[in-house]
Amino acid sequence: MDSLNALLEGFATALQPQYLLYALFGVFIGTAVGVLPGIGPAMTVALLLPLTYTLDPTGALIVFAGIYYGGMYGGSTTSILLNTPGESSSIATALEGNRMAKAGRGAAALATAAIGSFVAGTIATVALTFLAPGIAKLAVQLGPADYFALIVVAFLTVGALLGSSVPRGLVSLGLGLVLGLVGTEVLSGQQRYTFGIPSLADGIDVVLIAVGLFAMGEALYVASRLRHGVVRVIPVTRGRHNWLTRRDWARSWRPWLRGTVIGFPIGTIPAGGADVATFLSYATERNLARGEAKAEFGRGAIEGVAGPEAANNAAAAGVLVPLLTLGLPTTATAAIIISAFQTYGIRPGPQLFETQSGLVWALIASLYIGNVMLLVLNLPLVGMWVKVLRIPRPYLYAGILAFAGLGAYALHFNVFDTLTLLVIGVVGFLMRRYGYPVAPMVVGGILGPMAEEQLRKAMAISQGNLLYLVHSPFAIIAYSTLALIIGLGIWLKRRKARLEATPTLVPTGAIAAVDQREHEAS
Amino acid sequence: MTAAVPAPLDAAASGGAPAPRSARAPIGEYVFAAASAALGAYTVIGAGFIRVPPGSASVLGPRVFPYAVGVLLLVASLAVIVQIARGHRGVPDEGEDVDPDAPTDWLAVAKLVAFFLSQLVLIDLAGWPIAVTVLFAGAAWSLGAKRWWIAVLVGLGLGLVTQLVFGAWLGLSLPAGPLLNWIPIFNG
Repeated sequence: MDSLNALLEGFATALQPQYLLYALFGVFIGTAVGVLPGIGPAMTVALLLPLTYTLDPTGALIVFAGIYYGGMYGGSTTSILLNTPGESSSIATALEGNRMAKAGRGAAALATAAIGSFVAGTIATVALTFLAPGIAKLAVQLGPADYFALIVVAFLTVGALLGSSVPRGLVSLGLGLVLGLVGTEVLSGQQRYTFGIPSLADGIDVVLIAVGLFAMGEALYVASRLRHGVVRVIPVTRGRHNWLTRRDWARSWRPWLRGTVIGFPIGTIPAGGADVATFLSYATERNLARGEAKAEFGRGAIEGVAGPEAANNAAAAGVLVPLLTLGLPTTATAAIIISAFQTYGIRPGPQLFETQSGLVWALIASLYIGNVMLLVLNLPLVGMWVKVLRIPRPYLYAGILAFAGLGAYALHFNVFDTLTLLVIGVVGFLMRRYGYPVAPMVVGGILGPMAEEQLRKAMAISQGNLLYLVHSPFAIIAYSTLALIIGLGIWLKRRKARLEATPTLVPTGAIAAVDQREHEAS
Repeated sequence: MTAAVPAPLDAAASGGAPAPRSARAPIGEYVFAAASAALGAYTVIGAGFIRVPPGSASVLGPRVFPYAVGVLLLVASLAVIVQIARGHRGVPDEGEDVDPDAPTDWLAVAKLVAFFLSQLVLIDLAGWPIAVTVLFAGAAWSLGAKRWWIAVLVGLGLGLVTQLVFGAWLGLSLPAGPLLNWIPIFNG
């Protein structure tokens, strides 16, 4: 029970008053920013990266754990109470949760989302606690060829599976890889693509790539097609009879557990992250619903909130498994968390559990603590989140731009970084505008330099024999799993697309139009 | 209330080729894909100019990986161009605040970019609080804020608060600027 001891030690660290405060701060800020419409977990983490410039590593990672879970949670509040769907991972919640809120059952929807997130988050964190050290132990024996295989797997799954078509994902990946090339090359000390500009000699900081693509790019894109007019938030009626009834509990607990079982494994493989998990859970609940509940699907069934919300949080914890044990980000948010690690010169990977075991276990312990805090904090604070939702959009996006600027300038206190951020932001805007996924670009920018390093190490060992790349059983397994994952991922995407096309389900883009129509009719 | 969603809504949102806009040639899409292809080509050509130090022992020099990356980007971009030509258009992102029916407002984007560029000059010249005020007020105005003076006040508040929190309290060296430098708390 090594990991149990280590976990207890982690709790001893994370329960120190100052770290508890950090966790509380992270959860609170994460939820507040996550509630803001248009801001998904990836953007939340990217915008708050400057906080890590001054904190110690343990404190910063605890804050980030809080922000990560809080941001995931905040999105569900938005999608339940706002008339338009939010980040992709909570669209399934929006389908039923939004209808429940309109029927005056908003408090129940928020409650089942919060408790489901807590249940799923805790179970998934337990799974992470016991799985991660074992995987790390196996991963320590991996050589450069194995690592290269893993990175290729991450590249191709993220590049091929995210976004509407494979070539578009690969273009995004390629752009990220090009950004990763800029700078002084480590082994021979040669400058590449720096145009003789001293600021580029150190390379383009991953923070700039992340903040530029997510915060700047998203703000510019929303600005280009801003929904004008009054923000319509569905009011939440408080009071005992609006809260979860006995029947609601009875209908919720099974979806919570099923959502956890679906979400966690999908989170651990690079198959599109929480997005796919929530839709799979939604489809499962809809198929399993019987009688009255079945009739309610499409107009506010509580199972349709409980299941996907649990799957969403379980997947969020699942994403941390490959992140902590292999150093592989499988979602954009994970890629940005890696860049937070890199700010401290810490490289997530199998060695992490040996060299930084105190830090890792404190981080895992703070995940448990953060989950409890989310539950305690969020239910009473709904009124405040509703106020946050009403922030006028011009001020909201102006604020995002200001914070993005702060994140860039505070890197080196040099306006050249501000300019780089703007250029990357404009690219991010164009990519959204023309339908390219941005996540592969972030992953490419972060993993590209690692891929080159491992490849060159492997070639140095083998004296240039390319067959060395597939000499170990692990690498062979990795490449064959790659084929399997891509196949599975494409199957899941098809399934999701079919689900979205089912007529009883309102497609996400059309919800607003339907509401408009109802509005005019009434 | 949501008995059945009519078919046209469904088709437009489920990712197929949007009907009304596809009438025009997707020039912007071609330009972006072509620019990506050009960047890929440039990466390949530029890789040839990376100096390989004489007598370096490593088998794989500093040029190989850039060659591979450039080729990947070039081929993928060409594939996208072929896709567009065959009618597979990109599907623009959705979002809570994105109006799916609105045309792209390039002017608003240009204004935001211009206000962001002002940071390059203003941060060093006028200090962080002023630079934030200009960026925030300008961006809010570009996005259609009703009362400009509220935007200026909020922007100034945001600038001063970030200066205090990140500059004075967390110790990042944000320049307070000539207007505020005489106040000890900003100068810390």
